[in-house]
Amino acid sequence: MVVLDEPVKGVVEVRNYIDGEWVGSGSDEHREIVNPATMRPLAKVPMGCTEDVEAAVEAAQEAFPAWRRTTPLSRARYFFRLKDLLEEHFETVSRVCTMEHGKTIDESRGEVRRGIENVEVATGIPSLMMGYNLEDISTGIDEAVVKQPLGVFACIAPFNFPFMVPLWFMPIAVATGNTYVIKPSPWTPLSMVKLMELVEEAGFPPGVINMVHGDAEPVQAILEHPAVKGVSFVGSTKIGRDVVYREAASRGKRVQAQCSAKNFLVVMPDADVESTVPGLLSSFFGNAGQRCLAGANLVMVGDDQKFIQGFLGKITKATQGIRIGYGLEEGVQMGPLQAVPRKKRVVEYIEKGVEEGAKLVLDGRKYDSGPYPRDCFLGPSIFQGVQPDMAIAKEEIFGPVMSVLHAGDLGDAIEMVNASNYGNAASLFTASGKAARRFQYEAECGNVGINIGTVAPMAFFPFSGMKDSFFGDLHGQGRDAVDFFTERKVVIQRWP
Amino acid sequence: MIRTAGQLITLHGQLEDKVAEALRSLARLHPEAAGALSRLADESVQHRDMVLKVYREGVTDAFEVGFLSKPMDEDGYKVAEPRGTLREALRVALANEETVIRFCRDAAEDSNQLIPGLPQTFTRLAKKKEKRKAALESLA
Repeated sequence: MVVLDEPVKGVVEVRNYIDGEWVGSGSDEHREIVNPATMRPLAKVPMGCTEDVEAAVEAAQEAFPAWRRTTPLSRARYFFRLKDLLEEHFETVSRVCTMEHGKTIDESRGEVRRGIENVEVATGIPSLMMGYNLEDISTGIDEAVVKQPLGVFACIAPFNFPFMVPLWFMPIAVATGNTYVIKPSPWTPLSMVKLMELVEEAGFPPGVINMVHGDAEPVQAILEHPAVKGVSFVGSTKIGRDVVYREAASRGKRVQAQCSAKNFLVVMPDADVESTVPGLLSSFFGNAGQRCLAGANLVMVGDDQKFIQGFLGKITKATQGIRIGYGLEEGVQMGPLQAVPRKKRVVEYIEKGVEEGAKLVLDGRKYDSGPYPRDCFLGPSIFQGVQPDMAIAKEEIFGPVMSVLHAGDLGDAIEMVNASNYGNAASLFTASGKAARRFQYEAECGNVGINIGTVAPMAFFPFSGMKDSFFGDLHGQGRDAVDFFTERKVVIQRWP
Repeated sequence: MIRTAGQLITLHGQLEDKVAEALRSLARLHPEAAGALSRLADESVQHRDMVLKVYREGVTDAFEVGFLSKPMDEDGYKVAEPRGTLREALRVALANEETVIRFCRDAAEDSNQLIPGLPQTFTRLAKKKEKRKAALESLA
């Protein structure tokens, strides 16, 4: 099997990008990043420190007044240039993403495309940012709303979509006139390094977009810095709710924290089997299950055992046929977990599922990684006979594990969905419009899919989420994002 | 076996490149038909780029890009180097066109749920390539 050319050669010494310059970190502590498929070292990333964040925020603060006065049309043109550069480097960026994360090249290309789509939406900022007005609210008096940028915003990004997630936020933030600090995941810093190289080439003024690497200390510094007006976060509920939301909101910052999930995919007896199976495979095992929109619990509805057993048989057979390997081989359908601790966590959940009495019909631990080291590789697993109160049915596993549950009818299935602490996504597979409407209406989750396995909102719609899956008011992407990054100022005027 | 969208696009690109290369070497050997053969070679490259563009603009992590509805066997789509007299070589070139047309039709069917615009592009290419067959036949 042919492996595509690897764009990252040797070991990259990762640096911060502050005020238009590539600079070293004030921290001496580093983490070695490896390619999870080959375990070959890729990069040394600094763990970051408060001084790094202070320098980045100061640069962003200084750049803000001039950037704010740059016309929206001119700001949009920087993003047109960035889009052109991203198209030009599309394949390289995609391969970097696969090398540091492990996902398949198709998945990386999809991720990069979604990132570019957010840049495309930002080029429409002259229209998106318009306010509204009304003449004669009283005799000779007019009222208007104008949308104004606030200052410095920051993003704390996760490892699972290292390229796309910062682009959910940064383009709209910057296009609306704010300045920005990105803190990539310390596990997957290279996709953002590539983006910042292109930001530099696009000619954004120094200080408008900055990047600081690191772990807990720079996160804390971002949350505490008085000049940071708002924070966008994607990661676990534990950090998102207990650290980011509480710390930032208590200091009066705007927060959007997109957090953990436990997504239910509900299959009705009238579902179209042929089209449902590929959607389920992609949802459960795409990105090796490491996404907040991944399917986790498969709920089979009704008591038609012939349908249920036939359906599960097909799913199991199709899952066994998934080709696992290094994501830079184009025929590979599932890559490794992103790092050794992530595999360990998933394996612990598989062990827990067995202890809890669920039937492990497909054991991903037995996967033979062939020519690649076993460290991060894990095959897909399927549990049957899962009960709603088991840990594997309630807690986020973040790996390629499908738990199969049963519900008597649609009402029971919706009850299961709504009993979950999380409310990120849920999907229904059915031929019935009535069932679909009821599901859409009653399911307590932010993103609902009807005959769609992975409910990923496009760049011009908000990425929703409810309950323990989201903390804040306004979501990332779409019009929500424009409102998050701007203040609505009301102007009432009379000219006697 | 071809299981992913990426593989499908790569194989298509390889087929178009091989067809283009074969037509160019044929053009060098037979100057009397060089103009028409070179134009067809250029068109093959355009077809490769057209599909690549649709793929790159439509690929997304959200849908089933990783999984074809049924795997395709790449061994079923081989193109050959045209040799011999112009007439003999054109016969091979025609067979190559048939192979690529069959690939495009199969790819259109198999990529039905993959990426917006991809099946339509493959269908359109299959139709265009039917016309190329007539152009090749006219050279014989």
